Amino acid sequence: MSSDFYKTSILPFAGIIIKLCRAYTNSQEDFEDYYQEVCLQIWRSKDKFREESQWSTWVYRVSLNVCLTLLKKNKKNAKPFVSDAITIEATESNYAFADESLNLLYDAIRKLSEIDRAVIMLYLDEKSQKEIAEIIGTNPNNIGVRVNRIKIRLKKILDGKIN
Amino acid sequence: MERSIENIWKEGFLKSDALVAPKINNLYNQKSIHIIDKFKRMFKINLIAIVVFSFGFLIVSFFVGIPITGVMFFITLSILVFINKKLLNGLDKIDMGISSYQYLKVFNQWVKKQVSINEKISKFLYPIIFISMILGFWFKDAQGMPLGKRLVNEVLKAFPDIYLVYGIPLIGIVIALLITILLGFFGGRIYKWDLNIVYGRVFRKLKELMTDIESLRS
Repeated sequence: MSSDFYKTSILPFAGIIIKLCRAYTNSQEDFEDYYQEVCLQIWRSKDKFREESQWSTWVYRVSLNVCLTLLKKNKKNAKPFVSDAITIEATESNYAFADESLNLLYDAIRKLSEIDRAVIMLYLDEKSQKEIAEIIGTNPNNIGVRVNRIKIRLKKILDGKIN
Repeated sequence: MERSIENIWKEGFLKSDALVAPKINNLYNQKSIHIIDKFKRMFKINLIAIVVFSFGFLIVSFFVGIPITGVMFFITLSILVFINKKLLNGLDKIDMGISSYQYLKVFNQWVKKQVSINEKISKFLYPIIFISMILGFWFKDAQGMPLGKRLVNEVLKAFPDIYLVYGIPLIGIVIALLITILLGFFGGRIYKWDLNIVYGRVFRKLKELMTDIESLRS
């Protein structure tokens, strides 16, 4: 991958990739691995981009697919999720965000199913129901209901943590 | 006032540290390791396929009455697999701790060496395969008589004046010899053509990656 391609075609969309990779990882090390793999896959499959959608949508789709693939690959070796332990580890390795509420929200998002994580991330990134459906490959009519359910679930998790 | 998740999200990412992209200087290492791993996998599968085929063909050859072909195939292909397995072991010795560029260069050198050795082998391999087919079918039993001998008898009936050398028509020997020489001559090219079909994509990726790294180094 040329540094030009990274600077012009990946870096402007790094936010999308970072947000997504954070939702599927529990440590800085994993996050960096996921981020690198996403960049690598974007570079590798750039010729397959047909301009039928926006580049950002396509980047989102590739990022999501890579995260889901890596998650499946790593599942066998994954340690059980223990929220407190991960918070400590995250703080130690500078994995945590400066905003504590955002950390709690991410912790809550990580408790969702793989697809629900993707749906809520896309929703929070202000993607339309049509775009979310297009990226995930579902019916746009079901997205609204799904988002509401996920928001209720997230609120419950967050309320439980705060209280 | 209680913040909505939308607000937490928006405000959280407004802080400058939230979206810092990690450095990706290890990327080329990952890519080169990926390409080389892919090649190793394909190479191993190829060798296993040759072993399975030569075993299978050996068994089948006894059933269809061409054991000479089967045995010659088996011995030749076993030698081919043995040499290539030795070459593959050399690939495992490449130090993965060196830089991506060095790693790819060493791998490229290994590929060149491997191609050169197999090109030389192919100059003998294809003629041997051809000869083994001829011999197999020549000595195949055809109602109590070798098929070759039966064939010569049939030819003699049609062309009684045909010149024979040790009971074999001279024209047949010349044609077989010509094909053998041609296969020996073009063996290397046939191998490269075959190699391009199987590994062409991997080699192109490798070349692309090396050019890419070289452009970054310059």
